[in-house]
Amino acid sequence: MTHPSPLLPQLLPPRRAQQLLWRALGPGDETRTILGDLAEDFAQISDRESAAKARRFYWREAVLLSLSLKGQRALSELAADADRHTLETTMKSAFSLPAIAQDTRYALRGLRMELRLYLFSMMIIGLGIGATTAVYSVMSPLMLRPLPFDQPDRLAWVANDGEGGMSGVTSRTSNLRDFRALNKSFDSLTGYFAFFEQGSTNLVGNGEPEKLIGVGVAQNFLDVLRVAPLVGRNFVDEEGVWDGRPAVILSHGFWQRRFASDRGIVGTAITLDSTPHEVVGVLPPSFDFAVIFKPSTRVDFLRPFAISDETDQWGNTLSMIGRLKPDATIPSAQADLDRIIASLQQDDPERWGLGAVVTGLQRQVSGPYRSAMWLLAAAAAAVMLIVCVNLSNLLLSKGPKRAKEMAVRSALGAPRHRLLRQLLIESLLLAVGGGVIGLALAIAITRAVASANAISIPLLKTVSVDGGALLFSMAVALVTGLVIGIVPALQASTGNVAAAFGGSSRGASASRRSNRLREALVVAEVALACVLLVLGGLLLESFQQLLDVELGFQPRELVTWKIKSARDFETLTELNAHSDELIRNIVALPGVEAAGLTDAVPLGTNRNWSIPKPGKEGEDQEMLGVFPHIIDSRYIQAMQIPLRSGRHFTVDDTVDRDRVVMFNESAAEVLYPGQDPIGRTVQLFDGEATIVGIVADVRHVSLESDSGAEMYLPYSQSWNFSSLELVVRSSLPVDVLAPSVGAAIQREDPTIPIGHYQSLTQVVDRSTSPRRFTLLLLSAFAATALLLAALGIYGVLSYSVTERTREIGIRMALGESAGSVLWRVLAKTMTLAGLGIGLGAMASFAVGRSVASLLYGVEPTDPATFTLMAFVLLLVACLAGYFPALRASRTQTVIALQAQ
Amino acid sequence: MAKVGEFELLVILSILRQDDQPYANRVRQDLEQNAGRRVTRGALYRTLSRLRDKGYVDWQMEASEIPERGGHPMRRLNVTKAGTAAAQASRTVLLDFFEGLGPLADGG
Repeated sequence: MTHPSPLLPQLLPPRRAQQLLWRALGPGDETRTILGDLAEDFAQISDRESAAKARRFYWREAVLLSLSLKGQRALSELAADADRHTLETTMKSAFSLPAIAQDTRYALRGLRMELRLYLFSMMIIGLGIGATTAVYSVMSPLMLRPLPFDQPDRLAWVANDGEGGMSGVTSRTSNLRDFRALNKSFDSLTGYFAFFEQGSTNLVGNGEPEKLIGVGVAQNFLDVLRVAPLVGRNFVDEEGVWDGRPAVILSHGFWQRRFASDRGIVGTAITLDSTPHEVVGVLPPSFDFAVIFKPSTRVDFLRPFAISDETDQWGNTLSMIGRLKPDATIPSAQADLDRIIASLQQDDPERWGLGAVVTGLQRQVSGPYRSAMWLLAAAAAAVMLIVCVNLSNLLLSKGPKRAKEMAVRSALGAPRHRLLRQLLIESLLLAVGGGVIGLALAIAITRAVASANAISIPLLKTVSVDGGALLFSMAVALVTGLVIGIVPALQASTGNVAAAFGGSSRGASASRRSNRLREALVVAEVALACVLLVLGGLLLESFQQLLDVELGFQPRELVTWKIKSARDFETLTELNAHSDELIRNIVALPGVEAAGLTDAVPLGTNRNWSIPKPGKEGEDQEMLGVFPHIIDSRYIQAMQIPLRSGRHFTVDDTVDRDRVVMFNESAAEVLYPGQDPIGRTVQLFDGEATIVGIVADVRHVSLESDSGAEMYLPYSQSWNFSSLELVVRSSLPVDVLAPSVGAAIQREDPTIPIGHYQSLTQVVDRSTSPRRFTLLLLSAFAATALLLAALGIYGVLSYSVTERTREIGIRMALGESAGSVLWRVLAKTMTLAGLGIGLGAMASFAVGRSVASLLYGVEPTDPATFTLMAFVLLLVACLAGYFPALRASRTQTVIALQAQ
Repeated sequence: MAKVGEFELLVILSILRQDDQPYANRVRQDLEQNAGRRVTRGALYRTLSRLRDKGYVDWQMEASEIPERGGHPMRRLNVTKAGTAAAQASRTVLLDFFEGLGPLADGG
């Protein structure tokens, strides 16, 4: 025998194998002698052959030894104490870790053997879990989770009459004052200046000049929401009054970005529009004003907004929020305010703009998106349902084989609980695997959604994967797997072994029953897919219609800058001269075709003025609500808004000339129906103006809503704007155009920030973004559903073809042609798909009505969409059925008969 | 007197054949090399236990000097008087039965 060199460490037998022996044989001298014998042979083999061979030898011997010697010992123990033994081993095998590990290994081995089937199941489970989790995660902050305030259910939104644009939602400050004084339902009432976006403020000093957006809020705003500043304090009385001491509270994001979270900034002053403002506080990160109240904008600071006679003059400007008393409800608060309004109106019949519609704040915030979100949630649930159906189908197809396996194991003495547990582990493995894929998918989707700046849906930025939703979807997948998987085990353990063996391939009735079930499941799947496809189709059609809407202007190749000078202008003429010079410089730039100024580009803001309709006086006086635009003489041409009659404004329409005004066609029709309005006059609140031109309607509020009445006033005659936006038309790419325009602006006035520009196509895209978001998700669901339905059809037919190989072989031997076999299988496909489509169409018809509010320019029963989608589904079904059909038609008689 | 099976007899004889090192591993090697048998370890150990229970074989634990054993002890096997007697009895029976079978008895 060769001894290893004493310098080399001696190769030792595998430790775990030794442990196995030690455990199996029990401690003692005898076991040690056996270990010694084995070690000796191990050393010999590793010397003579190889270490690997020696290890394999040791393991094999260890396992064999423990089995044979332990078996003997167990038997003798059994003889000694039969009852105790039975009890012990049963308990052990049911609960011991090694047994569970063994079942898991067995399940994994099963997975390897049918890897493709399982990977596939895992993927569809993952798809379902991912989709459902993502959608519920997106919904959650908006609709399910409470708003990030203390007792958010006590917060109410008090709109005005609730109708029309922003002016129907907002209130006069006198309303807030009177409601505060008279109501019995609210602990406190507050509000913020709703039109804050129109104004912007320039920050000068502390680095580059920057355009900031601040919101004016009533002094008690943060108190009502119960938001405490992270640093510093809330506004005090001297700051909350009209013309009070200038103060701001910074948003957390702005504080981090601009001041690097420096707490020392509180108490110092920053210069906004050449006035020093004291920074009195910083908002906590949990409260981002824009994310909740005005998605897709940003808010940099809060400033006090006085509830005073002065601000009351401005009309409906306030968005009102209240905190209900503990015993008050939304209806009781509504009744309370109705009573107050009635008595106020009685006291002062002249008083206007008095109204109140109370809703929960959460409802208000999520309001416009509720139906879309519910639709998506339902769609996600449908996808999950299809996933479960598909999973059932897959597992059912394994059913007969499974039952046989279970019967064998049961006959060999495997206890029932062992079989059940193994199935449980298998389903668990599937669910966990699917869960991992689903989680990855959900993370990807929610990340993409949360980082999408272009989608204007509230609270989207706070979206993250919702653990509850993930667990829930995984539980659904698990239960499905279990229910379907456990049937064969139960069958087997009821002892009907013969049935399990008999019902294999010769069309036994059990197998036919399971086929019927699988076919029914496929029909259900197709029906669900059909509903999703039809809804997706309707939304797509709506979106198409919306994109085809006549905007009234040409958004392509237009870029806008908000320009606000930090300079103070004494007179309007001075400001005009300054801006005109700016425009001249920009138009002179190479590549710039036109430029103009407006106080508000389309699809951004909303404003409402009332002008009297001509012809009626006094008591009968009717008013027309118009959307006023203050523009320069070049704006209409720069936007390419078509001029219908009359003339454009000119540089000669100055403040000392006669006042002029332009209207859109809709306004002209109401003001002077059937007449030529050019040259006629209208009464504005500050004087009379002559109509000089009529232009086409422009969709200013949203793509969906008609433009309504619009009025254009020259900015050389009306100082009724808070800021101006520059529009530049150029075929140059935005990133080429922006620097040169920016440079031109700063040459003229270095105090104007130039960083914030956007193309008008971006603006249009953003206004359609919630719709696009819904459409995208729903299309993804519909596509998934289609794919799964196709796979379902394929699976069922492919299985039934395999099962009937013998039958088909015999038929073909008896003279049936390949074409006829092909056709029969396809006909089967058509029957299943047709049934599904029929059911699905009926369901879509019922469901379609409930999504009518999401549709634009298309009926929920649109026959074209229904037909198209049915056709698509039928086509895909055909394709899915074609391959099994082809296989069936190529069956060779001899092989088919041999195979059985 | 208890009877011995064929494998048991072989084990007893093999132990007796080992002059200075009657250990399980040697017995196994002997049986594999000279009796032309595949001997699984489990069977050998089980047989040894059985033979001890019958009182034919017995052993003493002995510390081993062989480094490959990793310090594990070995059992020095010896055949008891009863064991030797049983082996002889088996031999007599076997020889009696082979007697008169002609060529078969001579290994032809």
